[in-house]
Amino acid sequence: MGCETSKYAAVSYEEKLRLFEQVKGDERFAHYLYGCYECGVCVAVCPSARFYDFSPRWIAQALAREDADLVYKFMNEDVWDCSQCFSCDKCPRKNSPGGLITILREVAVRNGLKSAKDALEGYGRIIYKIMSTGTQVAPDMLQPAAFPDWGPHVKEISENLQWWRRALPPETLHTTETSWDVSEQTLRELYLIWHVTGVMEMIKEVDEGLHMILMDVMEEKLEEAGFDLEATEED
Amino acid sequence: MPSERVLIIGGGPAGIEAARSLADLGIPLTIIESGERLGGMPITAHYAALTPSFEDAEQAMGRMIAPLLGNPAIDVHLQSTITALRGAAGNFALTVASDGTQAEVEAGAIIVATGFQHFDPGRETQMYGYYEFDDVITLADSERLLKEHRFVRPSDGRPPERVAFIQCVGSRDRQIGNEFCSKVCCGVASKQAIEIRQQLPDSKVFIFYIDMRMYGYWENQIYWPAQEKYKVNFIRGIVAEVLKKGDRLVIRGEDTTLGRPMEIVVDVLVLSVGMEPSKGTREIAKLLGLPQNKYGFIETQGAPLATVVTAVPGIFAAGSCTGPADLEDCVSMGAAAALKATALLRKKAPAGGG
Repeated sequence: MGCETSKYAAVSYEEKLRLFEQVKGDERFAHYLYGCYECGVCVAVCPSARFYDFSPRWIAQALAREDADLVYKFMNEDVWDCSQCFSCDKCPRKNSPGGLITILREVAVRNGLKSAKDALEGYGRIIYKIMSTGTQVAPDMLQPAAFPDWGPHVKEISENLQWWRRALPPETLHTTETSWDVSEQTLRELYLIWHVTGVMEMIKEVDEGLHMILMDVMEEKLEEAGFDLEATEED
Repeated sequence: MPSERVLIIGGGPAGIEAARSLADLGIPLTIIESGERLGGMPITAHYAALTPSFEDAEQAMGRMIAPLLGNPAIDVHLQSTITALRGAAGNFALTVASDGTQAEVEAGAIIVATGFQHFDPGRETQMYGYYEFDDVITLADSERLLKEHRFVRPSDGRPPERVAFIQCVGSRDRQIGNEFCSKVCCGVASKQAIEIRQQLPDSKVFIFYIDMRMYGYWENQIYWPAQEKYKVNFIRGIVAEVLKKGDRLVIRGEDTTLGRPMEIVVDVLVLSVGMEPSKGTREIAKLLGLPQNKYGFIETQGAPLATVVTAVPGIFAAGSCTGPADLEDCVSMGAAAALKATALLRKKAPAGGG
């Protein structure tokens, strides 16, 4: 578990308690934590536990102990070592340490914790891609300069990427700017979902610049379609 | 001529079930009970609810005793003890002392069901300050408070905010000499923790344990609800020190599964004391010549496939006088002892013969 470092802010116990109450107040919490045997099966099957000083059991126990100090520490450090693979759902009590980590991460992001910003810093480009286009990493991101370790064939593929993509059977994959074609209708629906479910506020908490760029893209598309974003946010 | 009567020593759950079984089989019987009433430890120690059924102990034991009262084939001697034994299987003669008078009772077989006593936490070790701090109590003390629906700090009568249980007090301990597990304390402590949370919903309850031993259905009948529904905090680690802090107690131990020392403040500390042979068990074993094990419990023969046979022909033993036992063990052994005793009587005096 290490000792406290300057990686995150020292806050009052009341503040830690406030964050813990937000975690406990999440409607999924009761289904993710019943009671812990402390048997360690979640650690035994956890890939991250093999590489980091990380234990899904500690997460479950800290929450079961209602130890706000430890929960705060884990919320800032350990939760970012989890790969969210949910192997830990093997738990004999049907706890979900991975699910608990999802909640802890969301609370960390929603409250704009510095540790969350730091952890997510490197993902800005991917988040931008997914949220603006509705699909993941695009084929045209596959440039030799970006992946020198992938060998000489990357150069050949990237030069003729359009033709390679054309060779794929589904027409929706005949694109290089996105992973697949996303229809205007789907994109509008995704933008709306992200606005009304609070995802945009979470983005704003961790990366204001990214939030601004995304808002520009989304507002234009949504206004074209006749949606008033300001009215949506007030709902 | 062989006696057709069975004598039962001890009127607790094991003795009562032996008596009920014998009565059902039509065997005349005598119960010798040293206390003022039948019912055994659940009654004399003022148990609140039985483990694991949560049934009121008075009601449950009352229902068990009811068929024995007013039955002419059942002879009950309260506040009585055995002072002498003569004869052998089929023809025992026992001296019963009661209120300064002595009487002779004949019996073909004897069932010993003299039970256990709670470990005295002041014996051997004063580690937990039972005789020093008012707010350090035992499982038995706690039962009485829960029965009265008044679970308070004995020091000032106020309801506690934080309660902790320490498991294995007087059990599984080579230092003390009780190397055995007392079998019921994990279940009883968890049951009490639930009752405390029911009576005091704002309280926090901790249980410090070495292993939680919740056999069979106790797991989902008591342990899981305690943890999941009543949010009782189970921490693996044994408290080593109790200190006074203002008018509260500080306990120190290790949270072994989180790997860190632990110090918490509590208002009431409950010691989950284990079982030892009762004074009556030790005395009767000597008087009847029944071998005892190194802990003083009556040694049975042929375990695990026999449960109630002793080294002395014609004398059977049932319940917690033979070692740690839960209520199910006690009544099962009581019924088994009744059957063994009946079989012996029939061998000694075959029906229709002489």
